[in-house]
Amino acid sequence: MLRLGHRDFADDDLLVMAIVNRTPDSFYDKGATWDDQPAFDRVRQVVEQGAEIVDIGGVKAAPGDVVDVAEEIRRTVGFVSAVREEHPDVVISVDTWRSEVGREVCAAGADLLNDAWGGHDPALAEVAAEYGVALVCTHTGGVTPRTRPHRVAYDDVVQDVVTTTVNLAERAVQLGVDRRSVLLDPAHDFGKNTWQSLEVTRRLDELTGTGWPVLVSLSNKDFVGETLDLPVGERLTGTLAATAVCAWHGARVYRVHQVVETRQVLDMVATIRGWRQPARTVRGLA
Amino acid sequence: MLVSAAVCPHPPLLLPGLTGSADVGAPLRATCLQAVEEALAPGPERVVLVGGADSTRTWDSTASVDGPAYGGPGSSAPAGPRLPLSLSVGRTLLDASSWSGDVVLQSVAVDAPPEECGRLGAALVQGAPTTLLVMGDGSARRGLKAPGYLDERAFPFDDRAVQALSCADVETLSALDPGAAADLLVAGRAPWQVLAGALGRRPAAGRLLLADDPFGVLYLVVTWRTSGCAR
Repeated sequence: MLRLGHRDFADDDLLVMAIVNRTPDSFYDKGATWDDQPAFDRVRQVVEQGAEIVDIGGVKAAPGDVVDVAEEIRRTVGFVSAVREEHPDVVISVDTWRSEVGREVCAAGADLLNDAWGGHDPALAEVAAEYGVALVCTHTGGVTPRTRPHRVAYDDVVQDVVTTTVNLAERAVQLGVDRRSVLLDPAHDFGKNTWQSLEVTRRLDELTGTGWPVLVSLSNKDFVGETLDLPVGERLTGTLAATAVCAWHGARVYRVHQVVETRQVLDMVATIRGWRQPARTVRGLA
Repeated sequence: MLVSAAVCPHPPLLLPGLTGSADVGAPLRATCLQAVEEALAPGPERVVLVGGADSTRTWDSTASVDGPAYGGPGSSAPAGPRLPLSLSVGRTLLDASSWSGDVVLQSVAVDAPPEECGRLGAALVQGAPTTLLVMGDGSARRGLKAPGYLDERAFPFDDRAVQALSCADVETLSALDPGAAADLLVAGRAPWQVLAGALGRRPAAGRLLLADDPFGVLYLVVTWRTSGCAR
């Protein structure tokens, strides 16, 4: 069982986490949900499309204008409260590396802290334990938040991902986070060049094989773009191909921009794997 | 002695678990079960299940229902003999019915000549009061999206069969042409003619419960009940 704050999910559920950026400058949507109204509309839309989780972020991952704690709180906390009120069932995740922000969003109703910078602030896991929320333990190769990978090298990138994320997970459990509420994220593109992200994808079964539930964040990322030589707006097909491979390897949560397309891919892979029934089969059986 | 009969179709979609989340076969299965219960109502001493297959033979009661041959979740072929499709569906229906007594499992070759089918039918109901469960479909060529594509000859052929089965018209059933039936992908011709032979010259009342072709194959569900004495 996977427990994400106030919601429990079965071990064979594949979950879609829809990205809702409260930023003016994120790479894919470029501020589309910076204003309140489009952000609320986006949440309504993805919930209607079947996303179980919304992932609210107040700071773009890439380098750019400084966003301090106060500004990040200003961007996220009120929004979390409003989403909690309007959508009592949806799992609210907040993408932050800062424990001060984590504390505020948990008080506002968040279910999940998406620590996308891999335990950079060790106190964030303590906040998750204190508030009884779930935690994503991410591999970044130890880089500083909001930096790009520069000549990052590993003896074995997958082994580094496994060791780092499992250690973060065990530490979180020791701090009091429910063992059923910890996810591992290999973090494609974070502290990785494209070759390394591709290898993580190819060998994702080594991470799912640890038994911890795995979250993947693949959506429209540079490793897809460099692989296919395509700009940001043209990476959906590549993203979905990577999604299918990760689903085959047993990843459980998918952080995405496109909910409908992702859900179809996940349903298809889950059905091929035999985890899900086809909707309606008559061909050849009449 | 034949006391009653039920005639049911045998698409794989009547087997459990083959149509995914939507149980597409549920309404048809319910109608078939209704027919089986109607046929069992007179209280037969035994049931003979008849269906088309590659050859004419009896099957051991331990032979398995062969759902795995059609895929489906977690399916792997069972060990030992496996029933042909028609008897697999019939066995599933009987298992879901109130019948708990003996069942004779009898396949008839789909290309068996009508006279041979008739003789088999007469032999199957010798002795104790017997209910026949006869598995057979009409043409699978009843539309552009039908498994066998459209053949306009399917409609008059099927109409004749439906009429004959509904009225327990042994002569018309026995006269159904094997060649035309094969051309039109009619799975029921030989088993229906077994039923005709089982009734012989005695009267029976037929009742049509369903005749429909939602997927381009004619499914028909009929019951017969015989009168007490020979003509």
